[in-house]
Amino acid sequence: MVYVNQLTLTSALGAGLDQMRASLQADHSGLSAAEWPHCDVPCYVGAVNLPVEISVSAQRLSRNNRLVEYALQQDNFAAHVAAAVSRYGAPRVGIVMGTSTSSIDRTEQAYREMGQEEHFAEEFIQPRTHNPHAPGDFLAERLGITGPCITVSAACASSAKVFAVAERWLQQNLVDAVVVGGADTLCLSVIYGFHSLQLVSDEPCRPFSPQRKGISLGEAAGFALLSNEPAELAVLGVGESCDAYHMSSAHPEGLGAELSMQRALAASDIGMQDVDYVNLHGTGTRANDETEGKVCARMASAHTVFSATKGWTGHTLGAAGIVEAVLSMNAILTDLVPGTMHTSCAEPGLPILLESVERRVNTVLSNSFGFGGNNCSVVFARA
Amino acid sequence: MKANVIGLGIWGRGMTSYADLQRVLELGGLPADAEFLAPKPEAIPARERRRAGLMINLAVSVAHQACEHAGVDKASIPSVFVSSMGDTDITDYMCRKLTQPEKLLSPTKFHNSVHNAPSGYWTISAENRAPSTFVGGDQYSFGAGLLEAVSQVQASNTPVLLVAYDIANQAPFADVTPIGESFAAALVLAPPDAPGVGSELSVSVQLQPLSIAQLQAQGRAYSKVSAPGLDELAAQNPMAGGLALLEQLVNLQQTQTKSAELVLPAASQLALVLDLQAVQRNASNPQTAQVN
Repeated sequence: MVYVNQLTLTSALGAGLDQMRASLQADHSGLSAAEWPHCDVPCYVGAVNLPVEISVSAQRLSRNNRLVEYALQQDNFAAHVAAAVSRYGAPRVGIVMGTSTSSIDRTEQAYREMGQEEHFAEEFIQPRTHNPHAPGDFLAERLGITGPCITVSAACASSAKVFAVAERWLQQNLVDAVVVGGADTLCLSVIYGFHSLQLVSDEPCRPFSPQRKGISLGEAAGFALLSNEPAELAVLGVGESCDAYHMSSAHPEGLGAELSMQRALAASDIGMQDVDYVNLHGTGTRANDETEGKVCARMASAHTVFSATKGWTGHTLGAAGIVEAVLSMNAILTDLVPGTMHTSCAEPGLPILLESVERRVNTVLSNSFGFGGNNCSVVFARA
Repeated sequence: MKANVIGLGIWGRGMTSYADLQRVLELGGLPADAEFLAPKPEAIPARERRRAGLMINLAVSVAHQACEHAGVDKASIPSVFVSSMGDTDITDYMCRKLTQPEKLLSPTKFHNSVHNAPSGYWTISAENRAPSTFVGGDQYSFGAGLLEAVSQVQASNTPVLLVAYDIANQAPFADVTPIGESFAAALVLAPPDAPGVGSELSVSVQLQPLSIAQLQAQGRAYSKVSAPGLDELAAQNPMAGGLALLEQLVNLQQTQTKSAELVLPAASQLALVLDLQAVQRNASNPQTAQVN
């Protein structure tokens, strides 16, 4: 177990926790009809209203890094990290970022502007930006952190898996504090990529609805500061697994998903009856929700409620883990469990919350499952 | 932090197995005319194999090699995959397609574009449902992945597979981060007190993090590959640190040398000092006694 000392999230629900809470209270989804440059796919997206004045250096320039910068400025998160750095020393603070897109938005732009030429224009020669580690490396420079720093990229499980790494680093006394987080941006690669798999819905996504038509994509950046210093929230345990089945289809019986949830419960030393709320992966595709529903029905206790929150934020892919970690911990802090936005009736078999409800929440399990059959479940609790 | 290296896999110009690396070092270097052979891992089921590109085939080939070399159970070993640039062949394909009016992407190329694609193909080919991850660390990737893998060994008290690779690129990526040659290496790392497994190799690795400031204050530099030819390969691939480690591991097995020290980068401001010690075999264990 490790403690969560600070939290922040910037998503389609708003910049920072206050805006997110206001959206949740007002039942206001972050999804809107896509008006994305160069995009002709009819769909809804959860876009962040990123102010033009949010800037990063020319060498770091990408929408993804600007989104990271914008998120760092919310909830005094950067200032809280600065305090931890001065308290523990820069080498004793670590970074574990999660992403799937990294700064591919910038690479797409470089290719667009390259046209029929062979080489990028000078402004796009950015060795620290066109690679998977871009957000972690940017964060280290921005926050003055000199300890271990990695970027986990395991598709939609990326920023859930960061909690497992950070917990280990803290337990092994490699560091005294870890900044974990995730950041993914809307870009053509993901919209047209999921479109090629016929998984993008032309309406706002409706997870677990019998009428669901696929996903709505989103973008977000969020962070948590973890340490062994007692705080109100804790990461109880993390479970990870692989399906060993198919690159883009989940195991039909959800073998990997079940292993991931069981391992998270075992690592937390609790059973399903101790879990008040499960934040489902719940993407809104026919196959994924069916599989996750089967697994959860097998494991469900009478006490546990379930909801999927991608109708609020969109599927933020590599950032989905941190988005749903923050929504899960927010449920503990506010005793408000978010409903399954846009879903008016759910598939039978699971007690899916359609509307948000006030309910005492002490323990939450959050699921994140990704391409490559990569699964991760994290248990958060009131400490 | 400590672990034992008990198995190796390697793929690069002139080398498609641990035995090839041993031979290269025995002969005193990698011949200039050594060729890169395309890996075709039979272990990947046929249905999946026809969808895999060079990077996936490289990574999966060395992953199987290292597990077979170590004699560990492929179906249960957790894994850490690491690459500096990921699959730039696929990134190039996607970004070019997205500049066209219709923007039609191949669904297979899209699902292969996730950085954990090699991990996905590995787990399918090995029927492995253990945790598996991908770590990006830019030019510090090998050290970052090694630290992550050893941390996992310590936490889980089981062997962990580390697979490190980067593929050669062309313009425009070569303008940004040039990679002249493809190379992959894999290590099986085991708990230091684990009983011997069916491997000829056992070298303990003690990891000590060291800040760049301390490194410079001590006047130390990062370790480099020393064998002729191999040094040229190392200069052309971000996994040079992995090749430097493999060279030392084989040297410890082939010579009377019992220990070595390496310094590798693990993050922009963090180095790792690796203390390598050849492990004394338990003579009563016939599987591991062969080296002594």
